[in-house]
Amino acid sequence: MSQHEAIRPRHATSPEVVPIVEAVSLCYQCGTCSGACPVTAAGGMDYTPRAIMRMLQMGLEEEVLSSQTIWTCASCYHCVVRCPRDIEIADVMTQLRNAALKLGYKARSGKVYNEGFMDIVRFHGRMWEPRLVVQYNLLTNPLNFLGLTPVAIKMLAKRKLRFLPDHPAGRPEIRGIFERLEEGAE
Amino acid sequence: MKYAYFPGCSQEASAEEYNRSLKAVARRLDTMELAEIEDWNCCGATPAATVHPLLPHALAARNLAIAEEMGMEMVAPCAACYKNMNKASHVLGDDPEMLEQVNATLNGHQLGQPPRVRHPLDVVVNDVGVDNIPVAKPLRGLKVASYYGCLITRPEGGFDDPEYPVTMDRLMEALGAEAVDWAYKTKCCGGAIYMTTEDISFTLSADVLAHAKAAGANAVAVGCPFCQLLLDLYQDKLEAVRHTTFDMPIFFFSQLMGLAMDLDRAELGLEKLVVSPYRLLQETVDAPEGAIEAPKKQRPSKPKRWGEA
Repeated sequence: MSQHEAIRPRHATSPEVVPIVEAVSLCYQCGTCSGACPVTAAGGMDYTPRAIMRMLQMGLEEEVLSSQTIWTCASCYHCVVRCPRDIEIADVMTQLRNAALKLGYKARSGKVYNEGFMDIVRFHGRMWEPRLVVQYNLLTNPLNFLGLTPVAIKMLAKRKLRFLPDHPAGRPEIRGIFERLEEGAE
Repeated sequence: MKYAYFPGCSQEASAEEYNRSLKAVARRLDTMELAEIEDWNCCGATPAATVHPLLPHALAARNLAIAEEMGMEMVAPCAACYKNMNKASHVLGDDPEMLEQVNATLNGHQLGQPPRVRHPLDVVVNDVGVDNIPVAKPLRGLKVASYYGCLITRPEGGFDDPEYPVTMDRLMEALGAEAVDWAYKTKCCGGAIYMTTEDISFTLSADVLAHAKAAGANAVAVGCPFCQLLLDLYQDKLEAVRHTTFDMPIFFFSQLMGLAMDLDRAELGLEKLVVSPYRLLQETVDAPEGAIEAPKKQRPSKPKRWGEA
């Protein structure tokens, strides 16, 4: 979307996005969210949260779902507690991520991270940090392994790495939660 | 009071010292007993909602159901676990329809009335009471910046203000330390995105440390394993971002409690901190009586005239 192009309201067509547009219809563009957002201030968002709200109201579904913003939101909830219209902006970002995944938008590293994280929880019942780091880097940027070495050495020296995962007794039960939710979704 | 203790994944790995010190502190306090939930599962942290909107509530519900069977309130030391479980407890308590849906995904435990979820900071300050902490070795000379981060007070923490909380500051004062007043106590460290966008989270964390330093702090206290990981393990990288040296030990608040209660230091896991706290402790808490000067009141310097060197 270039800055000079006239923007005409469109209608969000995907059923995944329509409820999100309704949720942000109360936004009156005060910009408090953007002012509160630490990631925006650090330059990590291509559109500010306020802009995302407006774009949703205008029905610019494609632009929103392919934006960097929905993946770099740190879910710190600063915008949520300050919003005078009580919009759950951080949760809207999560819903937008879900919609982007479902509608097949270009997977950013956030997808690899989120899915890898949940695969581990599904398999082990608990998080096992070393596997997440190895798996994530293998899938996104294998060259980065060299850069990880100093951190790994430091963590080893402080005995902060677990070599073996921890398995709770209720592991099959936990996997059952994932399976039942998947069955329900189909 | 007895609480159902939910350690969480980090507390058994990268933040093991948080777990260890908190348990040591609770053993000494008569009014805070932690009964560990043996068969707990991961709360799903931030990614769970991306897989299925009900998944975070379902994962939390299983843990809540076990706590309910134990008949106790739940204590979750990790800020992300605390936020997820607390949110699920509120949402499922108010929405019987969703509770039914969630219960249908659980095989085994079933959740009835979700128990209340507490952060240990809340328990220590509001249940135990800061005046009832047996301080044997006041933390003289420590100037502590209390860092709450995002999820202890947001979005529905409910025990303190989301913008300017003071619970941890009151605790630090009761322990004999000086609570530094600073502006970044609830700013985000970027913990949720540090694997995917490392540079952004380093910028955020470096800002936090720079502000703590500028406010005159010589130590930071935290109540979240991700804040601690970023500020401590990656402190050399944060220094590179800001082109400065911080040399700032990052303690879990429970470690500072243990120090002030003069517990066996082996139980507090101080050796696990990457930025060593020993020199600071030698110069402050462990220094002989009278070696630390009382803070002087600074006189404002005379304004310089134009052209004066």
